[in-house]
Amino acid sequence: MPDNLQQALGASTNEPTASSKSNLKKLPGDLAMWFFILAELTVFAIFFIGFAIAENLNLVMFAEGKAQLHKVAGLINTIALITSSYFVAISLHSMRVRNDRQAVFRLILALVFAAVYIVIKLWEYESLFEQGIDIETNTFFTLYFLITAFHFMHILLGMVILVYMAKNAYQGKYNDSSSESEFSGFESGACYWHMVDLLWIILFPLIYVI
Amino acid sequence: MMKFWQRYALSWGWLIILTMASVAIGQYFQYATLNSVLFIAIVMLIIALKGQQIVDVFMELKHAPSLWRNIMLSYVIVVPLIITLIYI
Repeated sequence: MPDNLQQALGASTNEPTASSKSNLKKLPGDLAMWFFILAELTVFAIFFIGFAIAENLNLVMFAEGKAQLHKVAGLINTIALITSSYFVAISLHSMRVRNDRQAVFRLILALVFAAVYIVIKLWEYESLFEQGIDIETNTFFTLYFLITAFHFMHILLGMVILVYMAKNAYQGKYNDSSSESEFSGFESGACYWHMVDLLWIILFPLIYVI
Repeated sequence: MMKFWQRYALSWGWLIILTMASVAIGQYFQYATLNSVLFIAIVMLIIALKGQQIVDVFMELKHAPSLWRNIMLSYVIVVPLIITLIYI
């Protein structure tokens, strides 16, 4: 997409000027990815609203269930995902200034923080299983496992996408002027990862905090 | 003029502070037995503020076509608002 390259070159300076801002009004990544993101957000919105309604109908059960969750683990996971998202955001800038190696390094850091999330989440599941708690324990844990496991799968998919982006960046594919659409692919992958982060931003307070 | 990494770093710091704030408020209300609806409304407001940072800074929608930015910002406002209304 020629506009992507145009924006990429424009963003390589520190800040767009006021006159250039109007010209740069473009959606990062592919339009199809944004429709996919909207679909994902809608599914999770239904989950979130369903969880809130179920909690309103079973206040005691949900309070007891939340008391058994590890809030610190949830907090560490939140910080890990926000930090991972930060590294993906600055790796996109590295790509725009044609610094592939720096972009790869930042993507690897993003993957490290994503791995922190994976390890802690698995530990959290294991500790619940050891207490004899599983998806059939009660309505709270059914929804807890459904929502968090569904989000977990999105994290895994996001990590695969980040690895693919890092591989392409390492091979210099985003610097090939004949493959401008590939740069849009990098933006799309980054936006998908930010969506996963955005979902956790809602999921964590809803399930762990309130 | 703020450099690109300063903008992202500020956003990251703001997101961490808001996360800590929501957990701290949760702990406070747990022991203070104050109005739970007020507590939920505050936490949902924090979600909206964090969502705005991700949408505008990390997703870079601040300078995107307003339709897409408005859709994404609506999500981080409307979903927490619905959740708050359910708990009232």
